[in-house]
Amino acid sequence: MGTQLKKLLAAAIATLPLIAGYGTIAHAEGEHFVFVSHAPDTDSWWNVIKNALKNAAADTKTTVDYRNPPSGDIADMARIIQQATATNPDGIITTIADFNVLQSAIQGAIAKGIPVITVNSGTAEQSKQLGALMHIGQPEYDAGKGAGERAKAAGVTDFVCVNHYITNAASVERCQGYADGLGVPLGDHMVDSTQDPTQVYNKVKAYLTSHTGTNGILTLGPNSAEPTIKLLRDTGETSKYNFITFDLSASISKGIKDGIVESAIDQQPYLQGYLPVVLLTQYVRYGVMPANNINTGPGFVTKDNIEMVEKLAGEYR
Amino acid sequence: MAEDPTVATVAQPLDERLQRQSGLRRLLSRPELGAIAGTVLVFLFFGATAHGTGMFAADGILNWMTVTAQLTIIATGAALLMVGGEFDLSVGSMIGFAGMMIAIPTVYFGWPIEISVIFAFCGALLIGFLNGLVVVRTRLPSFIVTLASLYILRGMTIALSILFANRTIVSGVKNFAGDSFVVPLFSGKAFPGLFIWLADAGIIGKLPNGQPSVQGVPAMVIWAFAIALIGHIVLSRTRFGNWIFAAGGDANAARNVGVPVARVKIVLFMVTAFCATVYATCQVMEFGSAAADRGVLKEFEAIIAAVIGGCLLTGGYGSVVGAFFGALIFGVVQMGILFTGAPNDWFQVFLGLMLLTAVLFNNYIRRRATGER
Amino acid sequence: MSESVSAKPALIEVRDLVKHFGPVVALNGVSMKVRSGEVLCLLGDNGAGKSTLIKTLSGVHKPTSGSFLVDGKPIAFHTPRDALDAGIATVYQDLAMVPLSSIARNFFMGREPLRRVGPFKFLDLAFAEKVAREEMKKIGIDLRDSSQAVGTLSGGERQCVAIARAVYFGAKVLILDEPTSALGVAQTSMVLKYVNQVRARGLGVIFITHNVRHAYAVGNSFTVLNRGRTLGTFEKAGISIEELQNLMAGDKELQFLSNDLGGTV
Repeated sequence: MGTQLKKLLAAAIATLPLIAGYGTIAHAEGEHFVFVSHAPDTDSWWNVIKNALKNAAADTKTTVDYRNPPSGDIADMARIIQQATATNPDGIITTIADFNVLQSAIQGAIAKGIPVITVNSGTAEQSKQLGALMHIGQPEYDAGKGAGERAKAAGVTDFVCVNHYITNAASVERCQGYADGLGVPLGDHMVDSTQDPTQVYNKVKAYLTSHTGTNGILTLGPNSAEPTIKLLRDTGETSKYNFITFDLSASISKGIKDGIVESAIDQQPYLQGYLPVVLLTQYVRYGVMPANNINTGPGFVTKDNIEMVEKLAGEYR
Repeated sequence: MAEDPTVATVAQPLDERLQRQSGLRRLLSRPELGAIAGTVLVFLFFGATAHGTGMFAADGILNWMTVTAQLTIIATGAALLMVGGEFDLSVGSMIGFAGMMIAIPTVYFGWPIEISVIFAFCGALLIGFLNGLVVVRTRLPSFIVTLASLYILRGMTIALSILFANRTIVSGVKNFAGDSFVVPLFSGKAFPGLFIWLADAGIIGKLPNGQPSVQGVPAMVIWAFAIALIGHIVLSRTRFGNWIFAAGGDANAARNVGVPVARVKIVLFMVTAFCATVYATCQVMEFGSAAADRGVLKEFEAIIAAVIGGCLLTGGYGSVVGAFFGALIFGVVQMGILFTGAPNDWFQVFLGLMLLTAVLFNNYIRRRATGER
Repeated sequence: MSESVSAKPALIEVRDLVKHFGPVVALNGVSMKVRSGEVLCLLGDNGAGKSTLIKTLSGVHKPTSGSFLVDGKPIAFHTPRDALDAGIATVYQDLAMVPLSSIARNFFMGREPLRRVGPFKFLDLAFAEKVAREEMKKIGIDLRDSSQAVGTLSGGERQCVAIARAVYFGAKVLILDEPTSALGVAQTSMVLKYVNQVRARGLGVIFITHNVRHAYAVGNSFTVLNRGRTLGTFEKAGISIEELQNLMAGDKELQFLSNDLGGTV
C-alpha cells in the first residue's frame, strides 16, 4: 500500500513539470500574447479561432496562449485576464462578453501598459471606452437584424430563436435584432436551449409542436443549430422553415447544401483569431496600427457559395 | 477511514480490536496537517515551474489570493456543514440567486442598495433554513435534497430574472449604488496607503501612471479571513462547535445526550447560504452586475477544498483551517497552471492531476505523522 | 449484606408495569425495585421485554398502566430529560459517544462547560480535559491525553467513560444496557469492577444482561423477565447460578445442553 502510493505520487509529480515545461520554454522566443475567450470548454465553434491563433503564431514567430473559463463563468474570465496581466505579456486579445464584469480587469491590463485588442463579443463603443486599440468582430445586433430582414423578404411571419447561451447578453441581442428586422416583438419566441444536444433537440421539438404557426428559425451557433437540423431531418420537415443560423460547422454546411438551412451568418472567426495576433505583433515591433475597427461579418453563406466554404468548415471557416 | 470504529470495536472479538486501535492512531493527528503539507508541495512546484512568470509578483499574488479568498468564503461554510454530517450542493446556485436578489430590486424596483443587500441575506438565510428543515424533517440524504435545490434555485434565477428584467445579466448595479457604504464594504481595497508606500519603497511594482501595481487588499480577501477565523473559533472553541462534531459524528448519540441535532443542522445550512451570499455580494459589488450563470460548479470546488483540508465525507471530523488551506491549494493550482503557460486544452487534466497529487500527499503526510505505514 | 440493602428505601420501584404497542403487548406486568448501593440485575433472553422496560424507565416510552415510583413517590416521565433530571441515567449499548471526537469532548457532550470572555462564551476545554482525565483516573484508566479520540479506546474503556460521565453528572440510578455483551474477558472484568465501585459509592444500578455469569459476579438481586412479565426477584443468597440460568431459559433444555457441552453455556 505504502510503496504503491509512493509510486503514484512520484509518477504524478514527475509528469507535471514536463507538461508545464512545454509552455514555459516557448516564452523565450518571440512576443507572447494571450487570447482570452468567454466560451466554455465544450463550445466547438472556438476551434476555428484556436487554429487561426496557431497559424498566426507560426507566421509571426510569436507565442499565443488561448485561455477560457472552463464552465463559461464570466467572473472567472475576469480572473483569467487579471492572471494574464500579471504575467506581463506583450499583448492581450479578449472578448467583451460582459462589459461590466470585464471592465476593471481589461482596464487593469491597459493601465499596466499592455496593448489590448478586443474581438468577437462586445461593441466597438465598449472597446473604445475600455481604451483598447481596436475591436475586431461582428456587431451582434446588426447581424441579427440583417438576418431578420432576410427572413422577412422570404415571407417569415412567426419565428423561434434558439439560444444556447442565454446568459450572454450578446446572444440576446442577436435574437432581438432578428425580431426587429422581422418586425415581430421578441416576446417568448426565444428558447433557452442550454448547450446539451439532447436538450436542444427536445426543447426545439416541444416549441415547434406547440407553436404550429412558426415558419422561421434562428439558431445562434453550431451548438443550437446542429441538433435543430437533426430534428428537421428526423421529422422530415426539411423545407417547412426559413432556417437561418449564426456561424458555420460541417453539419451546418451540409444542411445548407440539403436546403434545410437557408443561410448561415458567417462572421469569419478565423480573422478574429488571426488578425489581432498579426496586428499586435506589428504594433509591438513597429508601432503601427490601423485607425479603424474591423468588421469581420456579417456575411451570408448560402447554397451558392457553400462549395468553397464547406471544405474548410470547422477548421478555418 | 469511513468505517465506523464503534461497530468494529463492539462487534469484533478482542484481537480484531487491537488492530483497529492502531488504525485509529491517525485520528490523533490534526486534520489540517496534510493540507498544510500539500500547500508547501504546491508552492514548491510552482516556485520551480512558474518562476519569473509574474506569479509571485504583487499583482500575481493578488490574482491567486483573490481566487483563494472567494473559495475560502464558501469552503468555510461547506467544511462546517460537512463536519456536521451534511452536504450542500446548492451553494453554486445560491451564489447566482443571491446576486439576482441584490441586482434586480436595486436596478428594476428602485430599492436602495443597502435594502437589497439585506433582502438578499434574509432571502438566502430563509432558503438555507428551508434546505435544513427539509433534510432534518424528511431524513433524506442532504445530497439529494440540495441537489434538488441546485436545480430549483438555478431555474428560479433564470426564470425570475427573465420575468422582472427580461434578461439574464443585470448590469449597472453600481450606477444605482451611488456612494453607499456597501460598495466599499464588499468590493473596496483596504490599506491603500501601505501599498503606495510599498511601491515607493520599490518592494512592489508601479504602473506607468505611477499607481502601485496592487492598490490594496480586496475586501473579499478580508471577508474570507474573517469568515474563516470566526468559523474556526466557533468549531473548535464553542459549545455549538462541539455540537457540530457530535451531530456529524453520530447524530443518534448526540440526540441521546441532549444535543439539539436538528437545530444544529438547520443553522449550518443557513451558514452555507450566508457564505454563498457574501460571495455573491462581493462579486456583484466588484463587477457591478449579476448573471444567472454565476457560481456554476462552485459547490464542488467548495467541497473539494473542504476535503483537501481534511474533512471526512462521512462527517464528524474536519477543520476550518484545513478548508482554508484546501482553498489555497485549489486557488494556487487553478491560477498557477495558467502562469506556467501550459496548453489550455489540457487545463482540466492538469487541475485534476495536481489536486490528486495534493490529496495523495496530504494523506501520506497524515499517515506518516501518526506512525502508520 | 442483602438484609442491610433491603432496609434502605427504593430509589426506583415499578409495580405491574404494562406497555402495549397497538396490539403488541411488550410488557405484561413487570414489578421490580432498586435501592441505593444495590446492583439489580435484569435478566432475560432476547424478546423478553428488556429494551422496552429500559426505555420506559428512562422516559422514552410512557407505560400503558402500572405505577412508577421514584423515592417512594409516583412519577410520570414525559421525556428522557425528565428521567435525567430525576437522577436516572441510562447508558445505551451505543454509549452515546462520537468515536471521532476526543474523550473530553465526549465526556461533556451536550453539557459543555463554558468560560466567559467579554460578551462571548467559549468552551472551557482545559477544564473539560482536566475533569475527564481525573474521572478516568478514578476508574484506574490513566490517560496521558484526554484530547485523544474515543475511537482509540478499547470497548471496555469506552463503557467506563460512558458510566463515569453519567456518575459525574449526578446520576442516582444507573441503567446499564448490556454493558458487557460485546466484550472480552479482561474488558468485562474491568467494567464489572467499575460497576461494583459505582455501587459502593451508593448509587443504584440496574444491570441488564443475558449473561448469568456476569450478572452473578456483581448483582445483589436478580429479576428475571420472560415474555414481558417478571418471573420473580431473588436475592443473591437465595439462588444459585445454575438455578438462575434455568429460570432465565424458561425450561430445562439449556441446562441439558449445557451439561452436554461441558458447562460452557
